[in-house]
Amino acid sequence: MSRSWIWLVIAAIALLAVPLVVRNEFYLNLASQILIYALLAVSLNILLGYGGMVSLGHAAFLGLASYAAVLLLNAGLGHLASAVLALAFSTACGAVFGMLALRASGIGFLMITLALGQIVWGIAYRANTITNGDNGLRYAERPHPFGIDINHAPHFYWFTLAVFAIALFFIWRLSRSPFGAALQGARDQPRRMRMLGHNVWLIQWLAFVLASFWGSVAGLLFVYYNLFISPHAISLQQSAEVLLMAILGGASTLTGPILGAIIITLVKNVASTYIDRWNSLLGAIFVIVIMFMPFGIVPGVRQLWLRWRAPRKQARAA
Amino acid sequence: MTPALEVIGLNKRFGGLPATKEVSLTVMPGERRLIIGPNGAGKTTLFNLVTGDLTPDDGSVKLFGQELLKLPTQQRVHLGLSRTYQILTLFPKETLCHNVVLALLGLHTVRWNMWTYLSGQRALYDTAREALAMVGLGASADRTVAETSYGERRRLEMAMALAQKPKVLLLDEPLAGLSQEERGQVRDVLARVPRDVTIVMIEHDMDSALAFAERITLLHYGEVIVEGTRAEVVADPRTKEVYLGE
Repeated sequence: MSRSWIWLVIAAIALLAVPLVVRNEFYLNLASQILIYALLAVSLNILLGYGGMVSLGHAAFLGLASYAAVLLLNAGLGHLASAVLALAFSTACGAVFGMLALRASGIGFLMITLALGQIVWGIAYRANTITNGDNGLRYAERPHPFGIDINHAPHFYWFTLAVFAIALFFIWRLSRSPFGAALQGARDQPRRMRMLGHNVWLIQWLAFVLASFWGSVAGLLFVYYNLFISPHAISLQQSAEVLLMAILGGASTLTGPILGAIIITLVKNVASTYIDRWNSLLGAIFVIVIMFMPFGIVPGVRQLWLRWRAPRKQARAA
Repeated sequence: MTPALEVIGLNKRFGGLPATKEVSLTVMPGERRLIIGPNGAGKTTLFNLVTGDLTPDDGSVKLFGQELLKLPTQQRVHLGLSRTYQILTLFPKETLCHNVVLALLGLHTVRWNMWTYLSGQRALYDTAREALAMVGLGASADRTVAETSYGERRRLEMAMALAQKPKVLLLDEPLAGLSQEERGQVRDVLARVPRDVTIVMIEHDMDSALAFAERITLLHYGEVIVEGTRAEVVADPRTKEVYLGE
């Protein structure tokens, strides 16, 4: 068994064991929240890390899926049907948003995603008759996937972990696939990629659709967790935070956004009980990390590790 | 016989500045065509118009009789057009092998696969290594581009284009910035390209280029001034005037 497999097994066991170790419901629920935001950050990273497209509207998909799920459930559909239709609706919106945003690249792309995200937020905020405006909507109860009750914190954590693991597995395969290689190529040399026969637009659009799909999955988990959705959950601040998670942890890696989600969610929820100015703390952490590790924590630590090991390896070889 | 590449009355203006003016040229299958001209003559612009990096104001570009102008760049590549760039555009952090694999993927349907491992595509990697061996980089396949010399990168550009088995290959100054020895290596690579590949080459190094070219087109201020066989163009007084100097 290779070393990365051993690490994977250790990580899986550790994550599965969290509810057995963390008995406090507040912290266990925090772990579930971290997984939800980690999924949102990893989905955004399909665009950011592999595609080189900076989106400031990714929380829109969390909102579209959440609101759609609530409205469909309220309309009398079952949990499964509303989940599937909500995902389909939100991903379809992603397909349209992608077409609009990919009219531009770089800053233009960012501004269009920002505008689209604000439109979704604006509709949630102002379309009172449908979305109940600022007061938000309640999701009646958590579903029973395969007949399993996920109302208790440990069960919900394991459910979220299972969904997260499946998503991460798909995105990991994507990153190693021919399509993943083409997406990264289109990020680095779009003109050359075209000249090699690649349809850069289609590659980037498909990446956008995939990112919106997994972001929507995070949205479903979000509404199952909170049993509530309001415009606050999909504000510009939320989109920016997700972007920050990916950049802080390291957008060029699969695990970076997860680490970013852990840090930011912890600062928001735990440090904020001790410090009023937790936003300033977050800012300070971000500045310090970017100063010393401009590509984020995971690539930065990896580099330190290699630098620490290199002389030792040489010494052994000599 | 249908020409491999036919350019008819191609016009492109950048603001008020004409980059190409009524450029027409016909390259027959298997031909080795050299395009020369002073800096700013519109040589690279012509390539960019043929590949679709730029859209002309009017005119026509045909590949084996098929009109290209309505097609996006990547579709022109699928019809058998390849090019190298004067300014290197490679993937510096990747291995030479990966660079060529990206070139091969461009024409392979597996490029849409989001599930299978790229590293499991043995056939692609084998073909990529063959292409690298053809340009004398077989031993360097697993080095990253950042670890290679400028001359090696020039040959990698060539390997990426050749690996695609193009029908028409556009080479934009393949010898620029190379040492005498490296020029020899690139010339050998070019000499080994099979005759079913038509080559159009922009080059400043007259010694290497003249030996290679069968027909020559001289561009000046975006216009075709002289065109003909090697001997005709070299003998033409206008060539001396605009290019070779008095």
